[in-house]
Amino acid sequence: MDFITENLLTILILLPAFGAIALVGHQMFWKQEGQLKWITFGLTLVNFLISLLLFTGETTSPGGFMFEKNIPWIKAINTNYHIGVDGLSFWLVILTTFIMPISVVSTWHAVEKRQTAFYAFLLLLESAMIGVFVSLDLLVFYLFFEASLVPMFFLIGVWGGENRIYSAVKFFIFTAFGSLLMLVAIIALYYMYAGVNGGVGSFDFVAILNAMKSGNLLIAGQGASLLFWAFAIAFSIKVPLFPVHTWLPDAHTDAPTAGSVILAAVLLKMGTYGLMRFNFALFPDQSREFAYIFIVLAIVGIIYGALVAMVQPDVKRLVAYSSVAHMGFVILGMFSFTETGMQGALYQMLNHGVSTGALFLLVGFIYERRHTRQITDFGGIANVMPLYATIFVITTMSSIGLPLLNGFVGEFLIMVGMWKSTVLGITGSTNWNYIATMLAGTGVIFAAVYMLWMVQRVFFGKLTNPKNKTLKDLSWREIGLILPLMILMVYMGVHPAPFLKRSRESVVAIQERVVHQTGGTYERAEKKPAELEHR
Amino acid sequence: MTENNLLSLIIFAPLAGAVINWLIGGKLKNELFSSVVACGTVAISTIVAFYIAFVAGGGAFHAEKPVLDHLWTWIQVGGFRADFGLGMDRLSAVYACFVTFVGFLIHVFATGYMHGDKGFYRFFAFLNLFMFSMLTLVLADNFLLMFVGWEGVGLCSYLLIGYYIKKDEAREAAKKAFVMNRIGDWGVLIGVFLIFTMTGSISFYDKVVGGETVPSALDAIAKMAADPFTAGVIFAGGITSAAVLLFIGATGKSAQIPLFTWLPDAMAGPTPVSALIHAATMVTAGVYMVVRCNGIYQNAPTAMFIVAIIGCATAVFAATIGLAQNDIKKVLAYSTVSQLGYMFLACGIGAFVAAIFHVMTHAFFKALLFLGSGSVIHGMHHEQDMRRMGNLRKHMPVTFWTMVTGWLAICGVPIFAGFFSKDEILYRTFATKASASVATLGGVPVNMVLWGVGLATAVLTAVYMTRLMWMTFFGAERFHEELHEVEAYASVHADDDHAAHGDDDDEEEHHHALPADFKPHESPWNMTVPLMVLAVLSTLGGLVGIPYALSGGAVDNYFEHALEPVIVKKVEHSETKEVKHFLASEPKTEAVSEPSKAAEHTEHDPAELATERTLAVVSVILALAGIGIGIAMFGKTPLRKMPKILEDKWRIDEFYNGYIVDPLTNLSRDFLWKGFDLGVVDGLVNGVGALVAALGGTVRRIQVGFVRSYAAFILCGALVVIGYFVYYGLKLIR
Repeated sequence: MDFITENLLTILILLPAFGAIALVGHQMFWKQEGQLKWITFGLTLVNFLISLLLFTGETTSPGGFMFEKNIPWIKAINTNYHIGVDGLSFWLVILTTFIMPISVVSTWHAVEKRQTAFYAFLLLLESAMIGVFVSLDLLVFYLFFEASLVPMFFLIGVWGGENRIYSAVKFFIFTAFGSLLMLVAIIALYYMYAGVNGGVGSFDFVAILNAMKSGNLLIAGQGASLLFWAFAIAFSIKVPLFPVHTWLPDAHTDAPTAGSVILAAVLLKMGTYGLMRFNFALFPDQSREFAYIFIVLAIVGIIYGALVAMVQPDVKRLVAYSSVAHMGFVILGMFSFTETGMQGALYQMLNHGVSTGALFLLVGFIYERRHTRQITDFGGIANVMPLYATIFVITTMSSIGLPLLNGFVGEFLIMVGMWKSTVLGITGSTNWNYIATMLAGTGVIFAAVYMLWMVQRVFFGKLTNPKNKTLKDLSWREIGLILPLMILMVYMGVHPAPFLKRSRESVVAIQERVVHQTGGTYERAEKKPAELEHR
Repeated sequence: MTENNLLSLIIFAPLAGAVINWLIGGKLKNELFSSVVACGTVAISTIVAFYIAFVAGGGAFHAEKPVLDHLWTWIQVGGFRADFGLGMDRLSAVYACFVTFVGFLIHVFATGYMHGDKGFYRFFAFLNLFMFSMLTLVLADNFLLMFVGWEGVGLCSYLLIGYYIKKDEAREAAKKAFVMNRIGDWGVLIGVFLIFTMTGSISFYDKVVGGETVPSALDAIAKMAADPFTAGVIFAGGITSAAVLLFIGATGKSAQIPLFTWLPDAMAGPTPVSALIHAATMVTAGVYMVVRCNGIYQNAPTAMFIVAIIGCATAVFAATIGLAQNDIKKVLAYSTVSQLGYMFLACGIGAFVAAIFHVMTHAFFKALLFLGSGSVIHGMHHEQDMRRMGNLRKHMPVTFWTMVTGWLAICGVPIFAGFFSKDEILYRTFATKASASVATLGGVPVNMVLWGVGLATAVLTAVYMTRLMWMTFFGAERFHEELHEVEAYASVHADDDHAAHGDDDDEEEHHHALPADFKPHESPWNMTVPLMVLAVLSTLGGLVGIPYALSGGAVDNYFEHALEPVIVKKVEHSETKEVKHFLASEPKTEAVSEPSKAAEHTEHDPAELATERTLAVVSVILALAGIGIGIAMFGKTPLRKMPKILEDKWRIDEFYNGYIVDPLTNLSRDFLWKGFDLGVVDGLVNGVGALVAALGGTVRRIQVGFVRSYAAFILCGALVVIGYFVYYGLKLIR
């Protein structure tokens, strides 16, 4: 047991990777493809259970890292296998391990060709994703970040839909382009650090950050801006931020269900996580300076994503565009630089993972039955699949932010944070932060429009298409898949305190880092009632 | 601060009912079980609500401080705090009591109305869920929890309007209702943000939670200096902005101009739903919020002005449409919109208590009218077109006589409930001696205009309600008559029915042909008893608010006095003269600022009493005149042709669709999606991609020969990389 808690994160990363190798081996010797999904499911489930040990962790300092490991790896370039988890990554790691078994089971009957490779890729993907969230060495982070591309590329390209090759290549080109920029920036940081560290460079995020905090390593001016953008572009593509979002609808539409679920639930969060972890911490001044760009793009994304989602004929594409809008909210909250907004952003990452993950699962269920996702092929489905319809409507409500379900808490906190923020400044009598919040708020209206319109056309009305008359309602397997997500939707909406509590200190630490030179806060002090009497 | 944990029982009993009906009722499919669970849980709510309001510790309705019940802290982040806590003060006591009681009656009615429906359990699960949301809305002790109820009732309304899922108009109406409500909700959300930044709190009451003091946001704003009466303050981000934003929410929820068009469409839902949600309770949530925030509105004269104008305009506008509708429920729906307009008019001129009084009496008589219409529809085998009714008083005597009380109540005939509340509003409008806006209308005081329009609306109300009564209950029986227009419509639908043949026909269908031997029948007891109870309330319910002037000095307005503490008494600031005048209709305002006058008020100024009595007589005459006009116009010719533009509802829907919905959809499809996404961004990327592909083409040709698939190739590569990692990793860990 000690060994497990001691090497917890390493085990979480390696278990799936070893599993992938084991799958290949198993296939070589026994050729029993039917067992593969069971093995994969078992592995991911065990990994999830192990990840629950994270709850036992204790930090030594507020907002510090838990389960930290720092082992020299390639001495020649001073790269360390440095991993650790803090409030920022805690829930993301658990979200990853939690969503994996679900996505494995979602493929139960869907994948027929090349099962070995499929499940091996899923497992490798899990390793890479966990690696991304726990890496504290920039080079290791980069490797995991890139490594997560490869399995997803093949999940889309081999087991995907009609346009799978196009979508997979598009996905790869977009994200690889961004991460190459990031690699350049990482190498640059290495040499800059070497400059102040007696010629010994480092990729260690904590070391570089400490050097920056102590004032030893000062990066300013154009150089800092370039580095900031190199990171920011890589992450923005991943989020994806408008206008580099167009890979997402294609990737989602053509990915197999499991791929879509993972893509929405976890992969997109790498972008927002990266911005918060690296851009905010390493380049606080640039983060503030360019915040307005991100806020504007986020708001455009919220409205644009919603409007385009509204006119999509394909359910999955519609959900994909809704992701663009939701992730816009996350960006908005982060760049408010207030505790409320940033906590809301982090919470919204989890919410989006749960509700959009659930939506993709649900779309997958109907696709397996009918092999179409065109809204016009459906209509009146609620008559033959009442349970499915119920669950879909609840998930929809979660997605569009109905209070007492999870989505509301995140969106609300984000908007409160933006409202209170002073990041955009106030010119004359125009408070731009207010305007930003009000515009983002319209996204909440549009969300209701596109989601309910879709629900109405798919589920309600008369059952007109004869092919839909024999549709079977959800099986026990499918109920079992969706049930944990439903429970989370309600729980996270009713009682968000435990989630927010765990992330609080780390988020505040990052927030303070960003605003450290602005007199301490971007948060407008709320006036106390007593002061207001003579306004 | 009084605590009472029973308070949470009021909201959670119906929630439990909803869950039980959904999970167990769905399996049992037993109507008796579902009915008992649904009505029983609401009965529990009703008893507890009345107990806390009137009995426990002297009753919340008479207490100085609200009764609170803190459940848990819902959201607490960075200075922002929202509790899941309930509170019952005098205002929410009124609401909780009539919502639970009328709700209970409608539940009982629905057990008869929905009898034989395949989704019986589902219907009652939704109805109970609605009760949970509505009670959460009125009992919440802070803005955010109120918003939970606010959105919750919107959801239930969505689910119940769309209850007959096979009907196209039902699902369209459901979505429309939700979206229009959402537009309003945007206003509420932003308004709450603004209130939070102004006061640092979103709580309604001062309270202490776990040793932490949570101040009341409402009191904080009430203590601030009032905004001046100018248009500019609307956008200044102050009190007026908050008030206007909240009112945007109210226009959505309470179906006021410009967001009213969803309510008439919402009649596609089952009739008990129309009675409960779209007449008695949910649609008055906007009034509740405005009255709850009266401290904010009193400091925002501009917002008050807007509320009054919108309310008054909606009242008359909806009444004109109501004149020309042929669907019995549509008439009542527009009537509801119109009556809600009255309530907002009352709020706008500062007569908050009168607004709540009208909410309550309206809940009685409008629920009665809707249930009565439901009984008619039930008896007519789901025929809703009044042109195919007539002479029903012979066949449905109980329904007829109870409807008569509702009719007299809404027309404003004395003794009946509607008379007192409507008269109170009109009198208060008239008595607003001076308002800041007097000069703006060329010498005519605005309140006189409002009063005049209010009176005109009262006449119109009497006319269209009389038309409804005559078309339905008097004249010749037209069940089997061929109506050219109706038949044409019916035949179109008959084709639909044919196409869907083979589906179960358990659901309501419009315009099916009535069999030749058709006879309308009176409804069963579980439908008529609620009608009778509501008829009694519609007759006598107004007496709780009988004003001093009209009772001959026997009683002073009990309702008004009971709710007085809820209304903030604005201490006048010298620099806000406008407000003082604008609020002059609220005698208690002056009572505080000028003690000498206070005595006069308690003794009742004889001149004012005379005015009040004169105006009451005018109201009565106009109501009777309206009824007279109605009989004259429609008594002999119930099918009299009405102006086309009124029948078409002033073509507002067409306007919204043509100028907002369609352009936005086209913009999204043709410009944003196909133009920008697929054209610009993807075009660029694909161009680059094609270039790269062309360059790499030669390389690819070689590779394809050697490797069976990319997948296998890269998997090997990935495994090598992973193996490398692991190899070094293991060496390092040792």
